[in-house]
Amino acid sequence: MKVTVVSRGGREVIKGGFDLNDSATVTDLQEAIHKRTKKFYPSRQRLTLPIPPGSKDRPIVLHSKKSLKEYSDGNSGNLTVVFKDLGPQVSYRTLFFCEYLGPLLLYPVFYFFPDVYCFFGYSVSSVTHHPVQTYALYYWCFHYFKRIMETFFIHRFSHATSPISNVFRNCAYYWTFGSYIAYYVNHPLYTPVSDCQMKIGFGFGMLCQVSNLYCHIILRNLRGPDGNGGYQIPRGFLFNIVTCANYTTEIYQWLGFNIATQTIAGYVFLVVATSIMSNWALIKHRRLRKLFDGKEGRPKYPRRWVILPPFF
Amino acid sequence: MAGFLSVLRRLYLSVYNWAVFVGWLQVLVLAVKTLKESGHEQVYSAVERPLQLSQTAAVLETQNHILVSSLVISWSITEIIRYSFFGMKEALGFAPSWLLWLRYSTFLVLYPTGITSEVGLIYIALPYIKNSEKYCIRMPNKWNFSFDYYYAAILALGIYVPGSPHMYGYMLAQRKRALSKSKRE
Repeated sequence: MKVTVVSRGGREVIKGGFDLNDSATVTDLQEAIHKRTKKFYPSRQRLTLPIPPGSKDRPIVLHSKKSLKEYSDGNSGNLTVVFKDLGPQVSYRTLFFCEYLGPLLLYPVFYFFPDVYCFFGYSVSSVTHHPVQTYALYYWCFHYFKRIMETFFIHRFSHATSPISNVFRNCAYYWTFGSYIAYYVNHPLYTPVSDCQMKIGFGFGMLCQVSNLYCHIILRNLRGPDGNGGYQIPRGFLFNIVTCANYTTEIYQWLGFNIATQTIAGYVFLVVATSIMSNWALIKHRRLRKLFDGKEGRPKYPRRWVILPPFF
Repeated sequence: MAGFLSVLRRLYLSVYNWAVFVGWLQVLVLAVKTLKESGHEQVYSAVERPLQLSQTAAVLETQNHILVSSLVISWSITEIIRYSFFGMKEALGFAPSWLLWLRYSTFLVLYPTGITSEVGLIYIALPYIKNSEKYCIRMPNKWNFSFDYYYAAILALGIYVPGSPHMYGYMLAQRKRALSKSKRE
């Protein structure tokens, strides 16, 4: 099979293209490109079928597991693919680990080294923390420790990598908010809520964290160990009523933390995180509804809340 | 029903954009008139009402400074062009090519003058902000929140450093796109 590799502008990216086996897969093509170009390792390549001019359809992306024959349809023996460089990539595991490590390490600094508040003009004579502040420390660190464990042992990613620019963006988000919240909860002039409110907040939050873990386990079992990345209808537990139950439990878990600690900083973070997750949930919900339309033997996606019952 | 709603929307947007255009036109005329007749020290008090109508303006101790005039004039020229452009599009369905050109060319001068005025005024106001403690919220309080206007202003100044070249570069790209597109039509 003769494969021609062009850029989106029409230029040939690999002079002369490749002559590959008829049974070659997309992975083989990716490795061939990598051998020729050194710089473009496979996770950096985005290969699509050329779209006819004027067509408004989204280009079809080549999947690494499929054979090239599946994409060349009538034009057997010849295949043209469009190449796009996605830029330097980093594995999702690395990305998540970096972004979660920040909050895990930075928050305790404000708790254990109250001298930092001297920088802000507060004199710190002794280290007496309210019980709330101590429980908040445990809760917070448990949360991010859990996230790191899930990253390495539970999650199965649909894409192996993410552009390296996301490392800076995501770390800025998590680390800045983590410090912002840690500053107020561990402040020498912190005003705690009532004992009852604290217990309700942390209790509810822990319940949601455990539910969240269970949601992640359910999602993991939807995908095969080879990281097939296909989409399935999630079922069981809260997924029966809400598409993105994992986000739902995450949001409510933060609500629990905020009820217990009561800082504006925490609530601001909650609002921002909720809007980000709601956006993702909407995309996922729409994708699943489109994929599972009930036609051609495919199951129809059941009526469910998108992310936050009873709101939407 | 859908057709009626979209007509209503266009009508509302036309009226809105033209009204704001008139607001900024007032600001510009008043500013230039005052500048000529009374000098830059009087500009702020002359434009204060129409300016507040068109845009919430921070009340600074530095109302008598020349940068206030340059700020007000930069903003009002930009906004007049912008709102009349939108107003034309909503009311008539198109905007004349000279207005399009103005919209995508005046920023070349007005962004630098406007940004310089903004940054300059914030910088000058810093000692006043620090002493007045205005808009500050201090700990302890029920919501465990604090706000320091002085440090927020410094942060704002910091944002201008990467923000200004980014905005300017973005407008340059927009200009290239908009003016080449109209040339092709």
